[in-house]
Amino acid sequence: MELKAVLEVKDLHFSYKKKKVLHGVDFSLYKGEVVSLLGPNGCGKSTLIRLMLKLLESDGDIKLGDKALQKCSHKEIAEHIAYIPQYHNVPFNYSVLEMVLMGRISKLGIFASPSEHDYQVAHQALQKAGIAALASSSFGELSGGQKQLVLLARAIAQEVNIFIMDEPVNGLDYGNQIRLLELIDSLAKEGYTFLKTTHYPDHALLVSSRVVVLNGGKIIADGKPEEVIHSQMIKEVYGIAADILMHEKHRRCLPVFG
Amino acid sequence: MNYKTQGKMLFIATLLLVGVALFMLLWGQYPIDMASFYEYLHFKFVGTSSLEPETLSLINNIILDIRLPRILLAILIGAALATSGAVFQAMFVNPLVSPGILGVLAGASFGAACGMLISDNWLVVQIMAFIFGFIAVALALMIGSMVSNTRSSVILVLGGVISGSLFTSLLSVIKYVADPYSTLPTIVYWLMGSLSMAQLHEVLAVSIPILLSIAGMIFMSKYFDLLSLGDEEAKALGINVKMIRIIAILLATLASSLAVVMAGIIGWVGLIIPHIIRMLVGPSHRLLVPLSALAGAIFLLLADAISRLAMSVEIPIGILTSLIGIPIFIFVLKKARAAWN
Repeated sequence: MELKAVLEVKDLHFSYKKKKVLHGVDFSLYKGEVVSLLGPNGCGKSTLIRLMLKLLESDGDIKLGDKALQKCSHKEIAEHIAYIPQYHNVPFNYSVLEMVLMGRISKLGIFASPSEHDYQVAHQALQKAGIAALASSSFGELSGGQKQLVLLARAIAQEVNIFIMDEPVNGLDYGNQIRLLELIDSLAKEGYTFLKTTHYPDHALLVSSRVVVLNGGKIIADGKPEEVIHSQMIKEVYGIAADILMHEKHRRCLPVFG
Repeated sequence: MNYKTQGKMLFIATLLLVGVALFMLLWGQYPIDMASFYEYLHFKFVGTSSLEPETLSLINNIILDIRLPRILLAILIGAALATSGAVFQAMFVNPLVSPGILGVLAGASFGAACGMLISDNWLVVQIMAFIFGFIAVALALMIGSMVSNTRSSVILVLGGVISGSLFTSLLSVIKYVADPYSTLPTIVYWLMGSLSMAQLHEVLAVSIPILLSIAGMIFMSKYFDLLSLGDEEAKALGINVKMIRIIAILLATLASSLAVVMAGIIGWVGLIIPHIIRMLVGPSHRLLVPLSALAGAIFLLLADAISRLAMSVEIPIGILTSLIGIPIFIFVLKKARAAWN
């Protein structure tokens, strides 16, 4: 029996005003996968994930489960997908716990406020993200890496299976990049589904069950990391030379000066 | 802060409001002591009293005709302005805006003055105030987005200043054409802001739409936190950003326009109260919005007490809130920067 896609995009075209960004993209996300979306700047990665979250309107064929995404309200989408943006500043200085509680909004009725249960879920999410100690710190004073973990904890508090991340390691220091990847890896082992965009082929090799390469608004490769990430692809997409090496059990992508 | 602490804080603020209101009911040019007040209540609810009938009727007059309408109006207007201020700040993710700064008060006062000019009907005045209050915000937003397409706090404030000035000028036109012996003085005195005209039945009538809009804003407050994350992220978390913005702006405009109709332009309350509360309890709107309502009510009750008793003549409360508000705001602005930057 064929596996059912949780999120499916068929022959998707999209343009901003006159600039065409996506030229017929086909993509399916299956439960339990960790998909890395690779591609150079301006290839349409961010546009694609925004379309899949209905943050951009289009009349393209996108399905969430069996339902057309256009017919889903933001609330319905949030009941299935959590979006983890790049960390950013917030004009009002919320506590970390308040930030995580915001992930519960789609679970609350119109007139309900967060209950004791919601607070518990938020605390558990903080624990899972390894930042329980930060609960009462103020979000604005955290480091970039901690902020990114808070946004991840908020997604966990949303109690959904699909996580969509936009360049999660962007702006983090070297240690935090790797720690975040490890956390994604361990959450994936618990059964969460990930779709993340990334600029690093090496990270895609470390943490992915599948790699999709987007170039010039088209998917040019889609498959297992070891099949997709090779020197020719790097040369073609990024215009640089790189070697793929085996280190212990892992393949690594190492750029070399030409 | 967990939700039990939040409940406790709201409870304490409510108690404080009731205490201040009760104090205002008894205190004034003619002080009523607790014993007489108890006797008065006994008379009202049981029918017997040890007080003289003349004293009873005097107390009855003071309480029902003079103090109660004024106290209720101060509570309603203080709550309406402070809540609207907190909500406008949330809607535009901009801690510098308020009903006054966005031009709503000026727009509503122009609308109300037009209404007074063309009709004796109070409802017409209220509706006109609301319509022009809303036009003023829309204009402030339009000017803001015309000048710059970035969401800059300062540009929106400038848009509000321009919109407010426009309606203030238009209001001057109305004053100029108004009958100098009847309509003009009415408009001028009303604009300075006063709670003294309040009649109990008028206050009760306007309390329904004001309380409903405040309740609406309080019920929506859990969504407001998300707007400060940016529209895209708020949508991804599952809320209908556009609808929430429109409803909340309409409710805040309605509440502050009705406040203008009832008591003229009372500035600064909508700006400083949310700031003070944010400084005390943090920016979470689930607590900020209802606490602003209670604190605004307490603030205006106290300001009204000062306006009545500071000098031998009553100072218009709108003038007084500006005099109190400006130094507080300068202080708060310095302290509060940490909470929103």
